[in-house]
Amino acid sequence: MTPLLEARGLNKSYGQLRANDDVSFSIFPGEIVGIVGENGAGKSTLVKMLGGALAPDSGEILISGSAVVLHSPADAQKAGISLVHQHFNLIEDLTVEENLVLGRPELRHGILRFKELRPEFASVAEDLGTHIAFDSRISALSVGGRQQVELIRALFHDPRLLILDEPTAVLPPDERDRLLRFIRLLKERGTATILISHKLDDLYDCCDRAVVMRAGRVVGTSALRPDDRAELIRLIVGAELPSPDTRHGTPGAALVSVQELVVYRDNGTVAVDRGSFNLHAGEIVGLCGVEGNGQTELLQALAGMRPIQSGKITYAIGNEPVTNADTALLRRIGVAHIPEDRLHYAVVAAFSLTLNWLLRKLGNPHFVTWGLLHRQAAAKATAAAIKDNDVRASGPRARLADLSGGNQQKFVIARELSGDVAVILAGHPTRGLDIRTVVAIRNRLVAERAEGVAILLLSADLAEVWDVADRIMVMARGRLRGPVPVAETTLAEIGHWMTTP
Amino acid sequence: MSVGMTRLVRVGIVLIVAALVPSLFVLTAGHNPWRVLTTLLLYAFGPQGWSEVLVHAIPLTLIGLGVAFALRAGLFNIGADGQLIAGAVLAVFFAPYFDGWGIAGLIAFLILGSIGGAALGALVGYLRAWFGASEIIVTIMLNYVMVQMISYLIRGPMQETSKFWPQSYLIPDDCILPVIVPGTRLHAGLFVALLMVIVGAFVQRRTVLGFETSVLGANPGAATYAGFRVKILTVIVMAISGGLAGLAGAVEVGGIYQRLQDNMSEGFGLAAIAVALIARLEAAAIPLAACLFGIFFAGSGALQRELALPFPLVWIIEASVIFAVAALQWALPSQKAIA
Repeated sequence: MTPLLEARGLNKSYGQLRANDDVSFSIFPGEIVGIVGENGAGKSTLVKMLGGALAPDSGEILISGSAVVLHSPADAQKAGISLVHQHFNLIEDLTVEENLVLGRPELRHGILRFKELRPEFASVAEDLGTHIAFDSRISALSVGGRQQVELIRALFHDPRLLILDEPTAVLPPDERDRLLRFIRLLKERGTATILISHKLDDLYDCCDRAVVMRAGRVVGTSALRPDDRAELIRLIVGAELPSPDTRHGTPGAALVSVQELVVYRDNGTVAVDRGSFNLHAGEIVGLCGVEGNGQTELLQALAGMRPIQSGKITYAIGNEPVTNADTALLRRIGVAHIPEDRLHYAVVAAFSLTLNWLLRKLGNPHFVTWGLLHRQAAAKATAAAIKDNDVRASGPRARLADLSGGNQQKFVIARELSGDVAVILAGHPTRGLDIRTVVAIRNRLVAERAEGVAILLLSADLAEVWDVADRIMVMARGRLRGPVPVAETTLAEIGHWMTTP
Repeated sequence: MSVGMTRLVRVGIVLIVAALVPSLFVLTAGHNPWRVLTTLLLYAFGPQGWSEVLVHAIPLTLIGLGVAFALRAGLFNIGADGQLIAGAVLAVFFAPYFDGWGIAGLIAFLILGSIGGAALGALVGYLRAWFGASEIIVTIMLNYVMVQMISYLIRGPMQETSKFWPQSYLIPDDCILPVIVPGTRLHAGLFVALLMVIVGAFVQRRTVLGFETSVLGANPGAATYAGFRVKILTVIVMAISGGLAGLAGAVEVGGIYQRLQDNMSEGFGLAAIAVALIARLEAAAIPLAACLFGIFFAGSGALQRELALPFPLVWIIEASVIFAVAALQWALPSQKAIA
């Protein structure tokens, strides 16, 4: 049988870095193939070349046995390949329908005939099994909803091959299941899918085989038998994984107590509805929920970044407890915050690592005296931090934007957890990162817990919460359930709480 | 960025377009572009012109520093003209008390000018930070208020004693910035401007204030996250920006007019925005950009006198230069991180 698509000896370099080094790959009609590897292993580069978004330096691509040159994503679409990127290309202020039309330049002709297009959109949406409101704005949709819009756009062209880059990274469990079901439905109809994912469960649940990449090369293939999981991880990491830290803390005094907290969203609707809980020294409390149910706003309010409408947040750190304090004060008393939207809050992308380090160190007399910055000291500390925390960067002068997402995250965590920390507010700290980095970050949190730090861990990954948290609480439509000890509950119960407020 | 176009080709394109566009306008108006250019440059670098270029570069540097400082924080200060007036008025109001103070009188005069501009700037910052008012609209509106105010003051309470001319009384000699090159109008305000450039460059690179300002402009979310007091910072930044314009007001009165009168600002406020942008908001580059605009301010008179070139044509040439400098930033992109 001829492969639907075959890549032979693809090479792509960025300066000194060989992003893809003699990569060969093939996929047959109706096959679902996973591509796994660490951040920076070359997966995205490969699929960009297959999707026409990037030209290889050398090597060739064959479709149904004949060589093709893909100059653009439009070329690839004509050849039956649709690529859905990890970061959505949607215009927030336009409606679903308007965004869909923008994705089809051949339908524009200067005038948008929505009435004629609507049935076409509707039939694709029906295939997807989704009931999306075509006239709602993108900004009103959940992450899953946005992804469905991207999928509808990709499926318009009736592709023979669908490429999905990290589609499950941002999805809550039920939406992830629906997506994987849909990929299998496409398979029955003869459409092949390439699925890039860091989550091994995605591969085992959905793929026929997995191709493993490391440092720009294809290092092996796995048939995904349930008993070869350890072997697959070894292939991905290239060595044994650091073993997970299993130390427990000894829960102490309540460092954070929240009473009857009410917080609004930017649009004035209630995000957190009379929430109360305590967070103790030496424990990790997992915060779960379907995206958009108020967890984000709760974390922002705890960090002092969102106004409190009513109720109290009290931090009992140091000598005097403080209530409803602002960010500046919380920073001083040792509240670390790993925000879920890194580029929006935690860093300035255009600045060097040194300046990004200084961003949170302005109160530290080692780096600032009399309002003057000590750049040398900051550069030194930054150099030490990136070395100690295995942040891959050319040095403290490197621009933050030039680091990969995983390394940016490691840098932020290194900075936040340096110095005296009593409470850590972590928003999706491991989202979208590779296995090795995920283990490193979890171990770091567990180590901090053993030191007596109180940690609130907002995570969409229930398995992660089960692994590291002592207690778990759930938010649904602004209402809090729990916290309850992890040992006293079940995945089914938590899942039920997540969907019924 | 398109592939295959070298930097040299791009710079060439920019220069050709920048030369062609104004030339076409000048030709249509029946003048010789080459003569226009040589007249402008001969005047600007000639025996009479050079000092006039610097005389105009002084307020442009001071105001440009302030506009750049605000822009680094993401704030558009369009109100330098109004802040200049506020500074000049406050300084002149108290100037009679400084008679006989010597050099201290001059310093007090300049400080009062800064305070006047800073107060108006701080008001804008407060309205922006606490009520979410657009600083662009507020500063533009305040420009009108200040123009009307000075117009009233020099025809009313602060008018000269004969009550005939629409101008204020003269400031005492102690408040005057002396001419530093005899036979020209070039005054000691030049040193004030250069001192402020040095201070500005230091604040920008070495201080917490300069750092917080650039963070606020580059990523307001990060400023909140890091625990900066963003509202207060906004007021401080606008006060400093306005303070520099107010200082320019006192310097103009002390160095040139020696009293209040109408039309003191000559549109420095708007030109200073272009100065700040062309200098890429770098304090050290502001004086150079200010001199470039000083050439146009000083040279436009010469072009009118010697070639009878109409005013709008001078503006077109000026606009072409602004575009050319902006386009050169496209032609020679810098990928360096802000270290």
